[in-house]
Order: sequence, then structure tokens, then C-alpha cells
Amino acid sequence: MIGPTANDTYVFSPSFSDLTVRRELLEKILGYKGGGPPDHAVRAGTPAAVSNLIEEILPEVPSRISVRCGFRILPVGSVSVASDSLSCNGVRFTTGAIIAKRLRASTTLAPFVATIGSQMEDWSRELMAGGDPVKGFIVDAIASETVEQVAEWLEKRVAEHVKPRGWNITNRYSPGYCGWSVAEQHELFSLLPERFCGVSLTVSSLMIPIKSVSGVIGLGPTVKRDASICSICDLKDCFRRQDDPLPTVEEA
Amino acid sequence: MENTVSTNEILDSLQRCIERGKVNNKSPHPPDMKGQDGADELARKALDTGIPPQDVLSKALVIGMQHVGERFRNKEIFVPDVLMSAKAMSAAMEHLKPFFESNALKHRGTVVMGTVLGDLHDIGKKIVSMVIEGAGWEVVDLGTDVSPEKFLNAVAQHPGCVVGLSALLTTTMINMETTVRHIKAQHPGTKIIVGGAPVTHDFASKIGADGYSPDPQGAVEFLNTRGLQS
Repeated sequence: MIGPTANDTYVFSPSFSDLTVRRELLEKILGYKGGGPPDHAVRAGTPAAVSNLIEEILPEVPSRISVRCGFRILPVGSVSVASDSLSCNGVRFTTGAIIAKRLRASTTLAPFVATIGSQMEDWSRELMAGGDPVKGFIVDAIASETVEQVAEWLEKRVAEHVKPRGWNITNRYSPGYCGWSVAEQHELFSLLPERFCGVSLTVSSLMIPIKSVSGVIGLGPTVKRDASICSICDLKDCFRRQDDPLPTVEEA
Repeated sequence: MENTVSTNEILDSLQRCIERGKVNNKSPHPPDMKGQDGADELARKALDTGIPPQDVLSKALVIGMQHVGERFRNKEIFVPDVLMSAKAMSAAMEHLKPFFESNALKHRGTVVMGTVLGDLHDIGKKIVSMVIEGAGWEVVDLGTDVSPEKFLNAVAQHPGCVVGLSALLTTTMINMETTVRHIKAQHPGTKIIVGGAPVTHDFASKIGADGYSPDPQGAVEFLNTRGLQS
């Protein structure tokens, strides 16, 4: 942990070994071994070429990522949640009813950001341009999963941080999902220090580095975190959809 | 008769290499074809045997990639498989390059591809481009964050081309509308197809695009039906 900074913000730099990025999970995310939507017609095994590439890439990942993640605990009393929107510190978010409903019991919120830096996306781009699109694509997929796992790791830190107060956490929710416009990234980032964790936004709300995740987590004594939020999400073809659950650490 | 059988065998084997992603003799993938000739050697062999380049393209490579696109759409195979096939296709196409350069062989047409202004996502567009190339089309890839002006310049340089627009964000897909409006104003006959995670058929219709596809094979079907110059 780098530690608390100004305005009740906390920044961390977990190492790759702190994250759970495994070949079996990556193969499933790529679509193999029964991954994909529930109408999956064929349960394809993973080609050895794909498994071998994942094994070849994974050891290189630690030297090609610069992990930074952090959150801010907004002051108690600064958050109010309506039926399809919420306000924090005077900033209004039209989150849509799905997210607002799940954040309604929150005493306050923790906006967060997580990134792995830009080296993996640069590597993927070089491979794609250099005639190795398969490896380039798998590098990109591993980068996406790695930053998701950083966000997962950060969620646990938020939970630990608020536990002494007797608070729980909700799942994390991000602009661009469940009816919350990605354009509101700018409002979300206005709640955090400038270039928090080294992440900035383009005019079109794209995070730079691209392999970054942002969002909010609800905090309070009566909020709860669901094991999976796929049932409330409208992205039916999402590669992370868990109608067919991803293997747990114990299963893999 | 013997020659016909031999010709068909070579083309069938080449098609199979494309479908299985067998690039060349040295490539270990797929394991059951280890040590066998791949798309690289078989394309050379086909041409050396006297099979017309047009037959190599249309009777082996294009059919092979069409099957790959269909299997991907049916979720029987996944993106890495498509890319392995595209790599095999690319190895075979190297041997056809001189015929394209001498105009002995012609592409079905040209597609100008790009991710619209404000969006830096590249991989989805690249995958679609590879499948389109595999269907016998020439792809001019303008990259990402492409302004309407850059698309207009490319359309002017490639008369009769089809334009493919990609976007991965709801905030950038609105820039498709601006791009479509500019192209249609200056080049009204140009066909435009759009795609990307947040894009829908309704959105495509609303902004005046001619086509929408959620997958690469749909883009190929659009090109082969509505993209061909009469």
C-alpha cells in the first residue's frame, strides 16, 4: 500500500502475484470450455496453441504492468440516492434504476480507479501490427482480465477499510453498464484528485491508459454485495457473463 | 482426369489449412496436422501446378474463410481460432500478391475501415478487417480516432469503395452519425456499414448507414450483396 493521501483517498500498488489471473480462467474468457452465452452450441476444447501462448505470455506480464489503484471515501451525508439517479458532493449521476436501487441503502460511496498502465496495450498493438494477431489478441485479453482482477483486489481493500465501522460494501458499478452513461465518467472523475492513479479521460470519456477500470462502491451498515451481478446486467453477450459460472480458485 | 483430381486435392487441402489455421509446414498448430504442408506451401504448390490464381483465391481461400466466419457466428470457434485462420490466409495471400499487383487478379472491391473520432479501440476492427480480406476484398485500414475528413480523403482516393465504421463506446458511436452525414453529402453513392459493441441495427438505420453487422461474417455478407459495384 502506498497509503492514505489527501481528502480521504487511498492508493495501492499490488503486485501481479496478489492478483488471480490464471490460464484456466483466461481460456474460459476467450470462449473455450463452455464459455460464452447460454445458447452455446458446441463446447469446444482450448487449442494447444492458445493454451501455450497464455503460458508463454503470463510470466512476462509482471514486467509489463504498472499497477495503481485507489479509492476515496466520500463524506457521510454527501450522498443521496433517488429512484434512477444519485447525487454526491453536489455532482448528479443518472445511473439508471438498476444501479440506483442497489446503492439506495448506502451511507456513502467510494469512487475508485484501477489501472495496469499502457505497456500491455502497446505490446498487443506491436504484435498485431507485426503479423502475430493471435498473440496480440491474447495479450489484450490477459490485460483486460488483469485490470479486472486489480479492481477485484481493490474491492477487498475497500471492504477491509470500512469493516471497523461496521459497514459492508456493494458490488462495484461503472459508467457504461446497466444504463449508466459512459459520458458521466467526467462527473465521476471530478470526485477524485486530478489524474488519480495516473488515469485521465479523453473528451469522449475513454480512460487513458485504456486498460483501466473506474466506478463507485456503496458503503454502509445495511448494503450487501451479491456473488454475481450478471443477472441485473443488460450486456447479454458480455465475455464475463456468469450464466455458466467462471471457475473459482478452488475449482481451477 | 488425374490432373483434375490432383487440382481438387490441392485446393481441398488448402481450404482445410485455412479452416484449421495451419500456416506452414513448421507450425505446430493444429497438432493433428504437425509436419504437414500448410497454407504457405500449398498455395505455392497450387500455383506451380498451374492452378489459376483466381481458382486458388475463390475455390480454396475464400471458401475456407467463409466457413471460419460461419463457425465463429455459430460460436463453434472463437476469436483466437479466427485469427489463426487469418494468419494462414495471409501466408497464402503472399503468393497471390504478384497477381494482384499485375492486375491478373482483382479484389472484389475496396473497403475503407476505421474506428471513429474519439475512439482508440482497434482489435475488433482488425478482426473484421482480416475476415473481409479473407473474402477477397482489399482493406484500407485508417486506424483509430479517424476524423470525418480522413474518411472523406480515403473515399476520394478509392472511388467505389465501401466504408466500414467501428466504435466501442456510446460516447463515440455518435461520431458515426457525423461521419456518415459527411460521406453521404459528398459521395452519396458510397455504401457504409457500421459495427461495434454498443451499435445496433436501429442505430445504424437512424444515422443513415446502409448496413450493420454484429459479427465479421455479417460484414462479408453485406459486402458481397450490397457492396459490389454494378
